[in-house]
Amino acid sequence: MPSELTTAMADLDEAKVQSLVQAGLAQGVSPAQLLEECREGMTLIGQRFESGEYFLSDLIMASEIFKAAAARLTAQPGAAFSKPKGVIVMGTVKGDIHDIGKDIVVSMLRGAGYQVEDLGVDVPPERFVEAARASGAGIVGLSGLLTISFEPMKETVAALKAAGLPVKVMIGGGPVTERVREYVGADRLGHDAQEAVRICESWAGGKQNG
Amino acid sequence: MAERTSAALDSGKTPQQLFAERSKRLQDALELRQPDRIPIVLGFGYMLAEMYGITRQEQTENFGKAQELLERAAQHFQPDSAMGLFNDPAASLALGDRMTRWPGHGLPANGSFQFVEGEYMKPEDYDAFLEDPADWAIRKYWPRVFAELEGLALLPPLGMAALGCYSLVTLGALKAPPVAKALQALGRAIDAQAGADARALESVQRMAALGFAPPPLAGSIVEAPFDFMSDTLRGMRGIMLDIHRRPEKLLAAMEKVLHFQLEYAIAFSRATGLKAAFIPLHRGSDGFMSLAQFEKFYWPTLKALQVGLVENGIMPFVFYEGVWDQRLKYLTELPRGKTAGWFQFSDIFHVKEVVGDTMCIYGGMRNSLLQAGTVDEVRSFTKKLCQVVGKGGGFIMSTGIGEMEGCKPELVEAWVDATHEYGVY
Repeated sequence: MPSELTTAMADLDEAKVQSLVQAGLAQGVSPAQLLEECREGMTLIGQRFESGEYFLSDLIMASEIFKAAAARLTAQPGAAFSKPKGVIVMGTVKGDIHDIGKDIVVSMLRGAGYQVEDLGVDVPPERFVEAARASGAGIVGLSGLLTISFEPMKETVAALKAAGLPVKVMIGGGPVTERVREYVGADRLGHDAQEAVRICESWAGGKQNG
Repeated sequence: MAERTSAALDSGKTPQQLFAERSKRLQDALELRQPDRIPIVLGFGYMLAEMYGITRQEQTENFGKAQELLERAAQHFQPDSAMGLFNDPAASLALGDRMTRWPGHGLPANGSFQFVEGEYMKPEDYDAFLEDPADWAIRKYWPRVFAELEGLALLPPLGMAALGCYSLVTLGALKAPPVAKALQALGRAIDAQAGADARALESVQRMAALGFAPPPLAGSIVEAPFDFMSDTLRGMRGIMLDIHRRPEKLLAAMEKVLHFQLEYAIAFSRATGLKAAFIPLHRGSDGFMSLAQFEKFYWPTLKALQVGLVENGIMPFVFYEGVWDQRLKYLTELPRGKTAGWFQFSDIFHVKEVVGDTMCIYGGMRNSLLQAGTVDEVRSFTKKLCQVVGKGGGFIMSTGIGEMEGCKPELVEAWVDATHEYGVY
């Protein structure tokens, strides 16, 4: 039976999520518990997107609500959260400034319990390598919506290999197809945020040695 | 090598005859009649630069060269109408436009024109926009998006103009350097755009002299009120949040936009004599919003725009970008035979089934087939398009994506020839 907060999150009721988080904290519910309930809401949202009930506009709203709630909860002094399922580095590749799809994937992954290092847009290969090394990420996600993004994706995959980092690479974005995945040398291709989550789950949580 | 079908079909005709026939052919199709054969329109875009070995920057900036290449290509392929590049950068460059990047200006010489979406209108701007869209647009928005117009932020509220002779005391303030500079830049942009308009007119006249009909989508450019609020104002993320957070303000804003766009399009048509209004759609395609959201936020004002244009003797020429397969049923509500629909990635055969009796269908050929297919694949798909989508008329053959960059000339030849072979009624 989903909690009221989970339901409010899943129903994209921004005001209700805010007031329930507020009330929960005031009643002494742990921030970790409240965050977990928000995450369950994100999971329901992902399912509603897959079933064709929710669309892009709803995912964008979900992102906003979850980001605000998570920021509030993780800022609570003394709060203890469970270890993330894994660490993922995400970014839109060099030369491309599209971010909406990437941002949704980042939110859904955080909603699923991953720690995500979001490098933003127009990210050169070296920054992906640096971030993967520094964060111990087991997964790197590359986003690109332009056909000219294929080369930077290929270069990034090559740079990660050359650096000897044991990461798995997933790619996504409008024009990205199986043929592109092969060309680029990535491990998996995701057509939407839900698929990205499933891919990460299948890779046993993105631990660098797992 | 056998003479190409296209050359044989029209051999011996003068440019004047060709112009008259091609214009009629297009008009018949637009009005849901069956012409003598299926017309074909080629939107070359950057394909001209590729075919003839110049940079995209040169194609964009050297009108004489670009026009020469358009004429050469049109005479080679022999469509009913042909277009080169869609946009002219002159006014944007004069204003320091932050929303666009052009080959050689913010892009390499062979880059593609880019529209840079951003959240140029913030949520807190809605009230001012609703109160007085023109005042907000000129004093708040233009300074944000055009570097050369920052000085317009110093103008007094435009409503002060209604104080008549007593408002003239505010004129002195317009001499302040930032304002004067902005007004001069505006003057330069006006001249730049007038130059672009003259070049566009010259191009149409030269093409006509060679026997090519003008592109059927020539006319004013207006947008679905939802796209108007999204594309250049709130951005996609912003508008999607507005659906949830401030739906009433969004609806109210779209009503205003609907009315002044209609006024603009009607005046434009009267001034130019052009009978079409081009409406490129963006966020109404499948996937962006649910059908319930589409019915509440996107469709009513888009339908009202099209109906309003039709009532004033103007044909909406609507580019249904992306896939519209889930939304085709709404299009059957449009006035029969009075609008045209250009479909990018929808299932064109399903489109014919659902809206074939409502509107002229424009498009059909997949750019990917012209880029990476074989002659046989192109011919066989063209035949199917002619027989199925062309049935009964009301079909203009063109590509799904408006610009044919990356398309192979020999495949385009095969396509045009096949259209002429299989498209005769």
